Amino acid sequence: MVTTKPFLETFDTVHAGEPDWLLQRRRSALARFGELGLPTRRQENWRFTNLRPLEKQEFAPGDSVSVAATAIAPYLVEGAGHRIVLVNGRFDSGLSKLDGLPAGVLLASVKAIVSNDVPGFFLLGPQIFGEGTEEAKQPFLALNTGAALDGFALGIPAGTKIERPIEIVHIADAASPLSVNSRSAILAGEDTKASIIETFIGTGEYWQNAVLRVQVAARAELHHVTIQDHGSEAIHTGSTTIHLAEKSRYNSFNLTVGGRLARQDVYLAMSGADATCAVDGAYLLRGSQEATMATLIDHQAPGCKTREVFKGVVEEQAHGVFQGKIQVRQAAQKTDAHQLNKNLLLGERAIVDTKPELEIFADDVKCSHGATVGDLDEAAMFYLRARGIPEKQARNMLVEAFAADAIDLVEDLRLQQHLRRHLDRWLAGRPS
Amino acid sequence: MLEIKNLHARLKDGREILKGIDLTVNAGEVHAIMGPNGSGKSTLAGVLAGRDGYEITEGSVTYQGKDLLDLSADERAREGVFLAFQYPVEIPGVNNMYFLRAALNAVRRQRGEPELDAGQFLKAVRAKLKLLDIGEDLLQRAVNVGFSGGEKKRNEIFQMAMLEPKLAILDETDSGLDIDALRVVAHGVNNMRSPERAAVMITHYQRLLDYVEPDVVHVLSHGRIVRSGDKSLAAELECKGYAFLDDVA
Repeated sequence: MVTTKPFLETFDTVHAGEPDWLLQRRRSALARFGELGLPTRRQENWRFTNLRPLEKQEFAPGDSVSVAATAIAPYLVEGAGHRIVLVNGRFDSGLSKLDGLPAGVLLASVKAIVSNDVPGFFLLGPQIFGEGTEEAKQPFLALNTGAALDGFALGIPAGTKIERPIEIVHIADAASPLSVNSRSAILAGEDTKASIIETFIGTGEYWQNAVLRVQVAARAELHHVTIQDHGSEAIHTGSTTIHLAEKSRYNSFNLTVGGRLARQDVYLAMSGADATCAVDGAYLLRGSQEATMATLIDHQAPGCKTREVFKGVVEEQAHGVFQGKIQVRQAAQKTDAHQLNKNLLLGERAIVDTKPELEIFADDVKCSHGATVGDLDEAAMFYLRARGIPEKQARNMLVEAFAADAIDLVEDLRLQQHLRRHLDRWLAGRPS
Repeated sequence: MLEIKNLHARLKDGREILKGIDLTVNAGEVHAIMGPNGSGKSTLAGVLAGRDGYEITEGSVTYQGKDLLDLSADERAREGVFLAFQYPVEIPGVNNMYFLRAALNAVRRQRGEPELDAGQFLKAVRAKLKLLDIGEDLLQRAVNVGFSGGEKKRNEIFQMAMLEPKLAILDETDSGLDIDALRVVAHGVNNMRSPERAAVMITHYQRLLDYVEPDVVHVLSHGRIVRSGDKSLAAELECKGYAFLDDVA
């Protein structure tokens, strides 16, 4: 059961010192969550997602713990310059690295901003905890508004380019079942450029409910990689909202390999003309994992471009879901939007649900969508084996090629290589 | 080296394609198998290489004293059987060099030889590339993707040169090649000839046999070898066509 009770019980302690408007906002959001309850499969947008693991058990708000540097070391990006580490959803200053940023760049913990330790207040109301109509309908978002203690905030002032990738590590360490609500925001000012990589990892039984809001101002360029590599008992729900202003560029990649139940929602709105986005990713699932990638890309302004490519490898009795919708409003003439979801279904009991959707109200657009579900190419398998390559290695080569095809779309080569290493690690764990 | 006895094979749909093949290939020999379309040439190659989709209903294939049909496709390759594909398969996303190194190291492990690291492998590759007039850029691409027909066939022979098989089966390697490419391919095959190796060349035309001289020529028709002889048999076929076989069969 997910109830607001444990969050209300600790409310006064954990939110002590927060401004009144925020406390009020949190209380009404928790009340809203209480009314909504968890989504059910009767709702179209949730009909492929089985939330039973969340219902079976209570996830208390996590206590603050510390983890060793060695716990995060294998997941760090080579050459990353700046880092925020959140342990059970709380900022860990010892593991984080905030120095060396260009002048004026704000990279801080949300808690530090809320407590006024860092002058980032300008982000707090509008960007991080800003009102949105969405949470009236989205229970996980409402709960997050009520419960999130911390997260990261990145603010890049106009004209600033950040050379080295910024990495955010969300790590959970759960001795008993607990929940982690993180609330984060990125505000990329006009004519800025940055790369950011978020990694979710952890051990034990926990539920991470992560909310991120991204704003990319005019002509800014933001590269954003998310790696969800949670422990095998973890549950992940994520909601990312992105707003793109005119001529901005947003390139994202989501790699999902961890957790037993995962659901990532992405809402991307292109409200400025001539913006470009790439919303790509891969989910690699085995055992009894279930993962859903649900995206809605909303073309509101003319001349924008979208590329969306998601590849799934689903083995054993795992369940992969892709629900992708591209919506082109009437004003969004000259839209160029293409969506593709390809899946390898590699177990007799494995399941893939894919629902690619285009909804077009403008008449002068170039749009396409498609989805495939299939097995490895038999002819290719025979070709590799006919050269002496053992069956398991041959299968791995083809699976790697399939997934790497999406990873190779990542423009920032440092992040691309990092993703490749995750893929190799996953392949090394494939059963024979 | 290879002894095929009374081999019968059919497709999954029940159609019998090979109806009693007998063929003995000794080390050091090159055999040519000719025959019209549908005679079972490519099925024979597929059965020998271990392709799925055939059912062996009768007969045996012994390779170096082992029951070849008992081995999986990759085991056969590691034991030194090589099939040059009639239609080499395009494999997007798998780099040609990476692929070939994996194959070579698999074969080397089997032979009890140490695996090659990237540097040693590159050295070995460069030595063979010259032989087949293949540009190094071809190797940086995905396996056969975007290769012309001739490049694909050359890539097959290049792989053969790298893997140094004991028994090479060339399935219509000459088809679709212009005369220059044919010469290069033939040169590659001739280079492999040695007293320890053998080759079976499947072809429609005598043309390839002008460049790679076979020791024995067989004619396959309706799933059986209906005639065997020396290379003059190929010349005879070339001038009379396959039609006369119906009289013999």
